[in-house]
Amino acid sequence: MRSRFNLSDRAFGIVNTIFLIVVMILIVYPLVFVLSASISDPHAVSSGKMWLWPVDITFKGYERVFANDAIWRGYTNTIIYTVVGTAIHLFVLLPCAYALSRKELMAKKAILWFILFTMLFNGGLIPTYLIIKSLGMLDTMWAIVIPNVVGAWSILVARAFFQQSIPDQLVEASKIDGASDFYIFIRVVLPLSLPIIAVMALFHAVNLWNQYFNALIYLSDRDKYPLQLILREILVVNQMQLNDPGGGGAESLVDQVKTAGLIKYAVIIVSSLPLLLVYPFIQRFFVQGVLIGSIKE
Amino acid sequence: MRYKSTFYLLFTVLILFLTACGGKEDAEVGGSKEALENLNETGMPIVEEPIELEIFSGKAATTADDWNDVLLLNEYKEMTNVNITWNQVPADGLEEKRNLALASDDLPDAFYSAQLPVSDVQKYGAQGTFIPLNDLIDQYAPNIKKVLDENPEIKKAITFPDGNIYSIPTVYSPDFPSLLIGAKGWVNGEWLKELGMDNPETTEEFYEYLKAVKETDLNGNGENDEIPLSSVAEMSRIIHWISGAFGVQNKGSLHTLVDGDPGTGDIRFYPIDDQYKEMLKYLNKLYEEELIEQNIYSLEVDQHLANAADNKYGAVQFYNPIELYGEEVGSQFIPGNALEGPDGTKMYSGITSPVRSLGNFVITNVNENPEATLRWIDYFWSDEGSKMFFMGVEGVTYEETTDGPKLKEEITNHPDGLTLTQALAEYIINPGGNHPVVVTDDYFTGSENAPTDKEAVEILDPYLVDEIWPEFTYTAEENDQITILETDLDKYVSEMQAAFITGEEDFSEWDKYVETIEKMGLDEYMEIQQNAYDRYQEN
Amino acid sequence: MKLVNEEVTIPKQGRFQGVKKNFLRNWQLYVFLLPAILYFVILHYIPMYGVQIAFKNFFANQGIWGSPWIGFGHFERFFNSYYFWRLLKNTFILSGYQLLLFPLPIILALSLNELKNGAFKKWTQTLTYAPHFISVVVVVGMIVIFLDPTTGLVNRLIVAFGGEPIAFLTSPSWFRHVFTWSGVWQTLGWGSIIYLAALSGVNPELHEAAEVDGATRLQRIIHINIPSILPTIVVLFILNIGSFMTVGFEKVLLMQNDLNASTSDVIQTFVYQTGLLEGQYSFAAAIGLFDSAINITLLVVFNYVARKTSDNSLW
Repeated sequence: MRSRFNLSDRAFGIVNTIFLIVVMILIVYPLVFVLSASISDPHAVSSGKMWLWPVDITFKGYERVFANDAIWRGYTNTIIYTVVGTAIHLFVLLPCAYALSRKELMAKKAILWFILFTMLFNGGLIPTYLIIKSLGMLDTMWAIVIPNVVGAWSILVARAFFQQSIPDQLVEASKIDGASDFYIFIRVVLPLSLPIIAVMALFHAVNLWNQYFNALIYLSDRDKYPLQLILREILVVNQMQLNDPGGGGAESLVDQVKTAGLIKYAVIIVSSLPLLLVYPFIQRFFVQGVLIGSIKE
Repeated sequence: MRYKSTFYLLFTVLILFLTACGGKEDAEVGGSKEALENLNETGMPIVEEPIELEIFSGKAATTADDWNDVLLLNEYKEMTNVNITWNQVPADGLEEKRNLALASDDLPDAFYSAQLPVSDVQKYGAQGTFIPLNDLIDQYAPNIKKVLDENPEIKKAITFPDGNIYSIPTVYSPDFPSLLIGAKGWVNGEWLKELGMDNPETTEEFYEYLKAVKETDLNGNGENDEIPLSSVAEMSRIIHWISGAFGVQNKGSLHTLVDGDPGTGDIRFYPIDDQYKEMLKYLNKLYEEELIEQNIYSLEVDQHLANAADNKYGAVQFYNPIELYGEEVGSQFIPGNALEGPDGTKMYSGITSPVRSLGNFVITNVNENPEATLRWIDYFWSDEGSKMFFMGVEGVTYEETTDGPKLKEEITNHPDGLTLTQALAEYIINPGGNHPVVVTDDYFTGSENAPTDKEAVEILDPYLVDEIWPEFTYTAEENDQITILETDLDKYVSEMQAAFITGEEDFSEWDKYVETIEKMGLDEYMEIQQNAYDRYQEN
Repeated sequence: MKLVNEEVTIPKQGRFQGVKKNFLRNWQLYVFLLPAILYFVILHYIPMYGVQIAFKNFFANQGIWGSPWIGFGHFERFFNSYYFWRLLKNTFILSGYQLLLFPLPIILALSLNELKNGAFKKWTQTLTYAPHFISVVVVVGMIVIFLDPTTGLVNRLIVAFGGEPIAFLTSPSWFRHVFTWSGVWQTLGWGSIIYLAALSGVNPELHEAAEVDGATRLQRIIHINIPSILPTIVVLFILNIGSFMTVGFEKVLLMQNDLNASTSDVIQTFVYQTGLLEGQYSFAAAIGLFDSAINITLLVVFNYVARKTSDNSLW
């Protein structure tokens, strides 16, 4: 009997492994393609001669990327926005989620609803733009890091973590010892919360790194543009520009396209690399970090 | 209970905020006394004491990152005493930022090259956000006035039904048809020779040629990879080449829904006309037989260039091939003919009005120096200013020769291998972008002035449409209505055009298509267009 | 800090006294909430006054308050528009399709959970998460490259096996598949994280007991693992429902062309086009409001159903 079960379990294990290998190949292949394309001759790529391994290896793309001031500036800006934005995110999120996880807090449900409602309903772009403007944040870093600083989803996840991972007795005991909530939060709770801090920081950092819409709307000084906006300028030839490039626009269009063709893939790699390098280190926290709970107490 | 207090708090904050925002005073149109005292009505500098202007400007991708680093504008600043803070917005995001600036009343002193559509110029002009320029032009802009007086059709095109001019347009000189036509049709001359064919003169011959290209290994690489006809930006460019042969779009390419009825001379909605249907059938035939590049609706420019570099194209509708594809491949192409259609019509309709785009320079009501601002742009409408705008500074970027000014060797043939556009970026803010000036062939450095382009114009010239309509202007009421109607109609017509051409929709559905258009408010739409057209003719 | 343990139960002096006591004792917790509350009030609640432009004709120089009321005109225009039903249908189908694939990350998580901790598991996780870090612009760029009718790898494979090349990018019938499955590619691994975390909380004793009873691995997955992550599944599902009308318009916009518009035209892209690009703000606001109404309705309905049938719900 037992051996039959073992057999079926082993068959299951094999099927499962094969399934995962297939999934992995499907997911990884496009990434390998881009990596290979970034060091291949652009012509070989756009004509379809390159499909897995690099063809006519050249590092021209990378040379061009590193020689491009706008990309460097965008890079620096994105790093600053990501770091500052993530710090603010944690500063807003963690105390709030912790407070909401405490049972002695009143009106918890009302507050959660108050937060959840913003996910469902908003005033639209114009009034938001006017607020950003009246706060003097237009064309500054704050217009990038303050809108969307925290969302309902993160609050629910962080709150669930605190509820499950911070033993009630621990907090009660500290209170009996006369510790204030501030003290407990900073000295007792936070040190136990490394997983959620790491995970929430990464989640938010990824969003900040890849977002461009706020920058597109709120920034006008090109020196403040984040990398994604520079990327768009390089990669996306605007339809309007294509239809009506203006007198002599043909040349400028071609110039742009030729540059783009050469550095397209290199720029994709360079722009995604920092996150790809960071997250394996944070990965081990994932399993402890992300739990989600309901609004119910 | 406890919810209530939250809402009270909220409400209070809200009220406080709103009262803080309210109460905006109306700005006076025209400059103050001090501003006028500071102004020189003629000559340079424009103002005695330097003034500051903030200008929102659309920026073509290849012009300098900061226009204040550009030689032309620095020189001009010295000349005029007008210091400008350029709020440069790249084409990607231009519409969004422009609309937000207008919607939130967060106004610069002027919008430069921001491609404001006619409807917005009308809307914000009528609301008083943009100031009327008629009197200012008469008094302070002699060069613009001269162009308008000499070309009444330009003046007509930029005057709104209320009699006001709100914007300085981009004008392509009527004497520069190559630019008015823009992208042109090109045929692979080497392949024609190899096939023993003549440059196609009719749509039928054109079809035969494309078919031959499809079936022959003309680039000799042993593969059947020849693509008979290509372009970029979907089908519109190919249609510019073909539509004349079918008698549609016969008032130029600025109007995508209306043209003149060849029978009555009235305005007609051509996308439901039989001639248009015939054109779609023809294009459908080309597409179904794979004579048009199959992914034309998703084709990116870089892919097009890669295919061209592989010598795959039999015919293209795009800008100068030598400029685009390089000497080796590009020089194979010869200018395509205006084609003769099945009913004998021979016409070329892919040409725009000299008023290329209307809303490229407007002055807002927060501008304290409208006179100086207008004078600032007016200089570039003079011959001297135009030369400076397009050629830069004598001795630095160009030399006077007996054949007129010529760009210096180190710019046309840059020692570091920069292209002309890149080399010029340091000195001027052209080529690329729609600047509110007159573009003439005297000083223009773009490829529309290339020898092969001029050759193409000579071939097309006899068949160009006889009248080119500029965009019409509307009254406020018409404007509101037509924006709504046109959004739907435009979308439906262009989607159905693509569907008919690619065979996604069968021609048996034609009647249903016409019916749908009628249901979308065609009559109302045509009534407005008719009024606008009548006004245009009467003026 | 004596205050803290002075009184544990709320005395009967009345509710207000209780509230006051609680507040005095735990005021620091309320301070913790302050940054978040301020953020939500200033950047979310205050702008809500802007929804009124849906019922007005917005003129920039008169501001949101000063513009004249017109009532339901913009709504009527939208409901009577030729595109209304198409937009609604496309939005529902695209969103529904994505919702249909909601179980995929769960399956991946269950599958990964069966692996022994080791290099293979670690690598699989690391690599499947990777696409999440790539921006939408880049993903669409990659789609265009891979699915090109002549040079794209997928079509070259199809041709190699004797098929006809497929115009994925310009075909209305393919748009939904390409859009949705490229989304799966990008978010599958990342989406599984939260379920993996929930699975790690399953009590190992349950599995040991089941093993003794002779249950196979598949049976244990069905009877132990799935029920224990069900609350997580339900909460996430309901949260997804709450953004049903939001389909990621940036990606749709980048993938849209005249040929696939009959399926790719969704409410959000329409709002973007008419609102931000054409400046018809009031009209766009009315459509946005319509969107929100549907989202809220769906959320309430699904939460109700979930509560009645499974006892798991968001609230």
